[in-house]
Amino acid sequence: MKFRSQRVAYLFFASALLLLVLQLVFGFIMAFAHMGFDGLHDYIPFNAARSSHLNLLVVWLLSGFMGAAYFIIPEEADRELYSEKLAIIQWAALNIVGVITIIGFQFGFWEGRKFLEIPRELDYLVVIDVLLFIFNIGMTLWNGKRFTTTSIVLFVGLTAAALLYLPGMITFDSQVLDSYFRWWVVHLWVEGVWELIMGGIMSFLLIKLTGVDREVIEKWLYVIVGFTFLSGILGTGHHYYYIGTPDYWLWIGGIFSALEPLAFLGMALYAVSMARAGGMRHPNRIALFWTVGCGVMSFVGAGFLGFAHTLPQVNLWTHGTLVTAMHGHMAFWGAYVMVVFAMISYAMPQLTGRKLYDNWVPEWAFWIANVGIIGMTGAFAVAGVAQVYMERKVGMDFLDVQEAIEVHFFGLTLAGCLLTLGIGLYIWNFIQYGLPSDEALESGGA
Amino acid sequence: MLSKSQARWFFVGGTMFFAAIFIFLTVDSLREIPARQNQDQMTADVVRGKFIWERENCMGCHTILGEGAYYAPELTQVVKRRGAEWIKVFIKDPEAMFPGRRRMVQYDFSDDEISDLIAFLTWIGEIDTNGFPPEPDLAPAVVVASASMASSTAKPAYFTTICIACHSVGGTGGSVGPALDGVGNRLTANELDRWLADPPAVKPGTAMPKLNLPDATRSELVQWLVTLK
Repeated sequence: MKFRSQRVAYLFFASALLLLVLQLVFGFIMAFAHMGFDGLHDYIPFNAARSSHLNLLVVWLLSGFMGAAYFIIPEEADRELYSEKLAIIQWAALNIVGVITIIGFQFGFWEGRKFLEIPRELDYLVVIDVLLFIFNIGMTLWNGKRFTTTSIVLFVGLTAAALLYLPGMITFDSQVLDSYFRWWVVHLWVEGVWELIMGGIMSFLLIKLTGVDREVIEKWLYVIVGFTFLSGILGTGHHYYYIGTPDYWLWIGGIFSALEPLAFLGMALYAVSMARAGGMRHPNRIALFWTVGCGVMSFVGAGFLGFAHTLPQVNLWTHGTLVTAMHGHMAFWGAYVMVVFAMISYAMPQLTGRKLYDNWVPEWAFWIANVGIIGMTGAFAVAGVAQVYMERKVGMDFLDVQEAIEVHFFGLTLAGCLLTLGIGLYIWNFIQYGLPSDEALESGGA
Repeated sequence: MLSKSQARWFFVGGTMFFAAIFIFLTVDSLREIPARQNQDQMTADVVRGKFIWERENCMGCHTILGEGAYYAPELTQVVKRRGAEWIKVFIKDPEAMFPGRRRMVQYDFSDDEISDLIAFLTWIGEIDTNGFPPEPDLAPAVVVASASMASSTAKPAYFTTICIACHSVGGTGGSVGPALDGVGNRLTANELDRWLADPPAVKPGTAMPKLNLPDATRSELVQWLVTLK
């Protein structure tokens, strides 16, 4: 690492991985319940497990993004972080809010709105926390020696993500309006501004790992995030097909969300071609694995599988079925989990001065985890398509259908074990690296 | 070849342009939504029901308007599908209605809360959703035939809304409890009456719940059941 204050990223990465482990635990609880083993029903009913699973994902990814920003922004701005102390306070606050949220969920302290279950009182704390974060990296950039496209895209993405949290904090009497503005947060995050964050992180990693000229990489970054918003903003319409909104959303949402894969295809081509152009000579191959893997898997999960059920003719039947879970799992994995893992894989040798990327542990972690998530996606796909045909097309009873597809959740659980093994190896590698060390200053170099 | 500043303009210009269209369409949607959601029918009960729905995180298992989790049934049309009476009985003791199957949390709602929830779900079912959820289009033709047959016989309303969830007559209905064809040959009116009043008292461990039927409903059911020969 170039600057001492970059080490604060370690805290965010460590707590991100810890929360990810918890997310997996709740995932298994739900998979077992779907198989008919709901022994925990009286203590952790499905809705509590589900909310915990989703919100742990959101909080740990945000923690990963923040860690990435604290690592990238000083390097791009070519100066120390504005305030390391503020960053630590902000880290502690984020974790406290996260822990209270997850404990609160087990006692029904929540808002029953998918993805935004964090209760309103804690929403304010989240906002304050994120403002502190934005202020810290904003001041670092403002006082920095240079403005790079990578840092600006990352900063704009993070700031827009903070602003877009606000529509989710308005109370509506009407379920239709509630839903309408809930998607401003959820959709415009994951299919909008989070892609800026992802693009910014990816661009930083490609610059460092491939040695391709910054101007070239950043030019294509603009093109890709341009496509993201070109398709993604009006693509919000694919959530407005059947919730009581006007019918023009059927074709607007259909057309623009059909274009959304282009942005992800761009990401994939971007990562692969830059890696090829650079000859993949960087010794930290594993960070490049995750970076290129992120481009490819986000295209498959978010782009291709999203397209598979986004057209209104298809979505009429698949809306609100396990088909959505199929797309969701690989999309979040490919686009956001992998970019955070790529960042951690790149940053850890820099932070600690230990070069532990060249052994079997991180490499097997990459392959096993990816095979696991592909298996899970397959299990969800089979269960989802079967559900659509039996329940929606033929009209069988919901519970009869669920019992018929229980076996696919056994497959899901097996694949989930592989994913967990892969993530376990990844975390083991993370622990082996140890803590950030001042000896690593300037020694790493890209 | 595309320059970096052109690429930047593509990003900034494209984003502003499509954001502007999105805002415009949002304004238009907000104008049309009141009619599509029957704003005039959004009574205080409906709104209270919505907040109960949120308070209990019903979306954590069910979907509504297709949104939520995939562990429990889609509820957009539940009032039309099951009827308000059925929901009232079901929600007081969900496990009793589907013994041994996937469980729902026992909420101990008050009667007022239940009627607010039903008001909310009734209102949801009337929203113009562009055709969601769709009617099953591959449904076997026999379902249509038996549905028309069911309407031609004079079943008590309670039977067609509640009992049918578990029992079948003439091939229509649930399979949790035994089919009731010919039940009039097996049981007398007295036996049926005693059974319906309190099934677990007659046969401890039975899956059939005590439904606390009003006397009039119970005798109407008994009189009809004995005719099933």
